[in-house]
Amino acid sequence: MTTHAEYHYVLFRSVSETMWADKLLKSKSVPRKLIPVPRGISSDCGVCIRLESEFVECARNELASIGEFRIIGPL
Amino acid sequence: MNKTIDARGAACPQPVIETKKALETCDTVITIVDNDTALENLRRLADNLNCIATCATNNDGIYVTISKSGASPVAPSAVQDASAVKKTEGATLMVVSQDVMGKGDDALGQVLIRAFFHTLAETDPAPDTIVFFNSGVNLLTGISDVIEDIKILEEKNIKILACGTCLDYYRIKDVIAAGTVTNMYEIKELMFSARKIINL
Repeated sequence: MTTHAEYHYVLFRSVSETMWADKLLKSKSVPRKLIPVPRGISSDCGVCIRLESEFVECARNELASIGEFRIIGPL
Repeated sequence: MNKTIDARGAACPQPVIETKKALETCDTVITIVDNDTALENLRRLADNLNCIATCATNNDGIYVTISKSGASPVAPSAVQDASAVKKTEGATLMVVSQDVMGKGDDALGQVLIRAFFHTLAETDPAPDTIVFFNSGVNLLTGISDVIEDIKILEEKNIKILACGTCLDYYRIKDVIAAGTVTNMYEIKELMFSARKIINL
């Protein structure tokens, strides 16, 4: 089972951009999970995309057209 | 004393209701059904009532024989089944009646329900039972975005139940990847005996 230390989190400026990114990554078959933003990152309500480390660069390339985003991790 | 009930064509939960009523006065009841959902519901009824169930598939239907195994006689239907109620007394029941969370925008609702089931699987507390009906049953298919979280909940011994009528309606009975089939009779019992009901 993957530990928390191996996850990276992609944060966007808005829920809409997160949803768009999730759809894009799904179309490119990038394994990911849409989850609430972990409390260690923010106490605000929001969702982000969780990636296993080995898929971070792949996701970064695919998301280049989205605009601004941040990749945080591992926590 | 034996009784035979022809429940072919009867909508859920009629086969269970009629069989349970018959068991109040008969030692053995043979119920004829025509679908697997009804068969599973009758098996679970037998389990709950501490009876023995056997079945035989014939050309004209599935014959389910339920016999009392020497346990205490079944109480009249006016009094709730003590063993079924005892199992759910004090329990927390979650009801999932749609495959999105909230009303308004379904795309947002899908995001919310994914986030919710992730949180439910990763943190405590969790409900004792989650029952899915109407479009909520779609969350139990193998291609659902929340199926992995639901499987985690199942591994934690949280009971996952799906309304059989709804599985039939959406034609996904053969493709659910978690949970067991239930009926309106059991759903009603769960609701009335739960200490807390969370309606998603």
